Amino acid sequence: MLWESILPNVLAGDAPRAAEPPMDSDAFAGFYERSARSLWAYLARVSGDHALADDLMQESYLRFLCASRPELFPAEGEVAARRYLFRIATNLLRDHWRRPRAASIEETPEEFFAASDSSAQADSSAMLGPALALMRPRDRQLLWLAHAEGYSHREIAGITGLATASIRLLLFRARRKIAGLLREQAGRVPSQRREQ
Amino acid sequence: MIFSACSREKEVAELLARGHWPEACAPELRSHIDACPACADLILVTRVFQGARADTASAANPGSPGALWWRAQLRRRNDAVERVGRPLLGAQIFALAVNLVLVGGFLVYQARHGLSWLSWLEQHPELPTLHFEELWPSALMTSGWSLTVLIPLFAALALVGGVAVYLASEKQ
Repeated sequence: MLWESILPNVLAGDAPRAAEPPMDSDAFAGFYERSARSLWAYLARVSGDHALADDLMQESYLRFLCASRPELFPAEGEVAARRYLFRIATNLLRDHWRRPRAASIEETPEEFFAASDSSAQADSSAMLGPALALMRPRDRQLLWLAHAEGYSHREIAGITGLATASIRLLLFRARRKIAGLLREQAGRVPSQRREQ
Repeated sequence: MIFSACSREKEVAELLARGHWPEACAPELRSHIDACPACADLILVTRVFQGARADTASAANPGSPGALWWRAQLRRRNDAVERVGRPLLGAQIFALAVNLVLVGGFLVYQARHGLSWLSWLEQHPELPTLHFEELWPSALMTSGWSLTVLIPLFAALALVGGVAVYLASEKQ
C-alpha cells in the first residue's frame, strides 16, 4: 500500500479539504450585512456587555462558517442560516455564563445595562435596560428572540434547545414579569427627567 | 402565577408584526386589548423590544466580513490538518508501543538466558569474519523460531498495525 494513496493531500503539500463552507465569500458578505446588526443587538442586550457582544458576534460567524452543515442552507435559504447563527450565539452566551469567573452576569449591576446603552435617550431603550437587568439570562434570551426578532415558539425552541411546549409557558411568565417592570420604569423615567 | 394566555394573542402578534398597531387596529380588537391584560402586556413588551432593537442595531459597528471570512478559512484549514494528524499520531504511538514491547521482550529473554553470544564472541577473537546467524541463542535456533524470522515479523506487524489504526481513525 502506498502512502500517497493514504495521505494524498498531506504528501501533495496541500492542506486537506474540510467540509465546504455554508456559503461563498460574496454570499457571506451579503448575509453578514443583513444579519450582523441584529445579532449584535441580541448579544449586547442579552449580555449587557458591548465588548462581550463584539467578541461573541465574531466567534458566532466564525463557527457558522466552519460548520459543516451545507445541507441546511440551500434548501431553507437565509432564514435557516440566520436561525442557525442565532443558535450558535445563544450557545456561546450560555457557555459564557457557565464559565466560572469573578463576576457573573447575574451579579452585573443594574446601572451597567443602562450606562452602556448608547441610545439611552430613547424611551424604549431607557426603560428596557434596567428591566432586563432584573430578568434571568434565559428569560432575556426568550423575550428578545420572541419580541425583538419575532421568532415563533418553534423557532425559539430550535435556537435555545428547549421544548416548544416549555417556551410558551416560560415566555408567558417572562413577559408578564417584564411588563410589570416596564410599567414601573415608565413611572420612574418621567420623574427622573423632571429632576434633570 | 396562573397561565392564562389569551385566545386572541396570535391575532395581536400578527397586528404588531405587520406594524398595524395602533392605527390600523379594528375598534373591536382595540376594546379587547384594553380589557385583556395578556394582550396589553404583549403590546407593551413587543413595542419596547422592537424600539430597543432598532436603537441597538443602529449603534452596532460590525467589522469587515472579509476579515471574518479569511479567519474562518484559516480555522477550517487548521482543523482539517489537525484531523489528519490525529490518526497519524495514533498510528505512530501504536507502532512505537509494539516496538517497545519487542525490545523489552528481547531484553528480558537475554537477561534470563545470559548474554551467551557475547561470551561466545570473547571465546573466538580469532574469527576474521562475523556470521550474524551464529549470534542467535541456541534455544531459538533449535525451536525453529530464529530471530531472523521473528524481528521482521514483528516489524511488519507494527507497521501493518499502525496503518490499520490510521485507517480506522480516518474512517471515524
